[in-house]
Amino acid sequence: MTSDQKTTVLLLDDEPIVCKRLKPSLEKAGYDVEAFTKSREAMHRLTEKEFDIAITDLKMDGMDGMAFLTEVKKRHPATEVIVITGFATMETAKESYQKGVFDFVAKPFKLGEILEVVKKAEAKHRPS
Amino acid sequence: MRILFAGDEHPYSAQALKKVIELARHTWADVTLLSVLPAQASAQGEFLLPTQDLRVQALRRYREEFLENLGSSDSPYALERWGHEWIPLRNGIWEEIKVCRGVKKDVKVRIRSGNADTEILNEAEKDGSDLIVLGCGKGGQCGWESSAAAPRKVAGNAACSVLLAKEDKPIRRILACIDQISVSQESLEMINQLVTIHDAQLELIGLTHDGAAKSEAYTRLIQIGDYYSDKGIPVKTRLAELSKFEAVISTDTGQDLLAFWMGKKSLLTLLFPRDWVERFVGVCQSSVLVLR
Repeated sequence: MTSDQKTTVLLLDDEPIVCKRLKPSLEKAGYDVEAFTKSREAMHRLTEKEFDIAITDLKMDGMDGMAFLTEVKKRHPATEVIVITGFATMETAKESYQKGVFDFVAKPFKLGEILEVVKKAEAKHRPS
Repeated sequence: MRILFAGDEHPYSAQALKKVIELARHTWADVTLLSVLPAQASAQGEFLLPTQDLRVQALRRYREEFLENLGSSDSPYALERWGHEWIPLRNGIWEEIKVCRGVKKDVKVRIRSGNADTEILNEAEKDGSDLIVLGCGKGGQCGWESSAAAPRKVAGNAACSVLLAKEDKPIRRILACIDQISVSQESLEMINQLVTIHDAQLELIGLTHDGAAKSEAYTRLIQIGDYYSDKGIPVKTRLAELSKFEAVISTDTGQDLLAFWMGKKSLLTLLFPRDWVERFVGVCQSSVLVLR
């Protein structure tokens, strides 16, 4: 990976409005973003491509975010995963970290906050 | 999520801090604890921090209480990340000092000086707060001892949601009142989060005037109900006549949290014509969540 390649981000949230809000902001910040509202489709994409960063909701139909996080870390251990959730509890936060999440961000959050977290994940993924 | 707690040295602030601790325990939010001192000018334009001021001492106690509750070794706020940071002393002079930060999340402690509500709003804007939490007296004034109007003005003018904690009771039910069409995604998520954290029941109340519900507002009530139902959150919905609403909110509603989606064209302006948000939060006996 060369230094001028964009950092790639997979975004998964079953609420279209979340993807609609986050994707353009992340792209404007210089990231290459693919957004999904179905975990099955996101999972399939992961079999085709390794992303630098994955942002995933927790509570979704089908494969939930915790299972998605587990699968991502199993297939691509280097991918940094950020969990975003509207159902934050101490237990889910702890479980996420035990499964190797980079950060746990409770909704609602401002775009500035998630961009900061993504930048930190990027810095860890690609230390200069 | 970013939470701003603004408090003074009185018991209502101490009880509001408990709400912040509970929120932080589950959301692992970035938290700022803020107190506001009266504006003072000192020689050479430097602000000398009066460390004996009761508000400064209270802020220290709040930080200690926060970390006592949430600073254990498996907590994101555990003070285990040592480093050096440059601290500005005055114009052109910096000092590098050793600091200890939370292992994953920070709790910042800040003092501002000036008008209380102005400084709280400025801090919230600068910090990108998603929620401001304040305590206040339970009486009709809903005020602070040293700045009577501060909580009401913050509730009336903040760009983000504001939780006015008036009592130290667990939240068992959230009564979310809606009378306008535009509801932000952030406000839906805030209610979602509070229902989850408190394992509370959710009831949506559509406000009507003279028996007629604006058809769009009624549609919105149903849409929001469906939004929460789709997320697996049991929700009840009902309509309430505005003329009887003041009587409802001015009685003690026990372990309820009254939540309001606020807007410029709210029906509540008919009940409280001037500075209606501020008057409204003053009338409510229970804790109030102003949603934006």
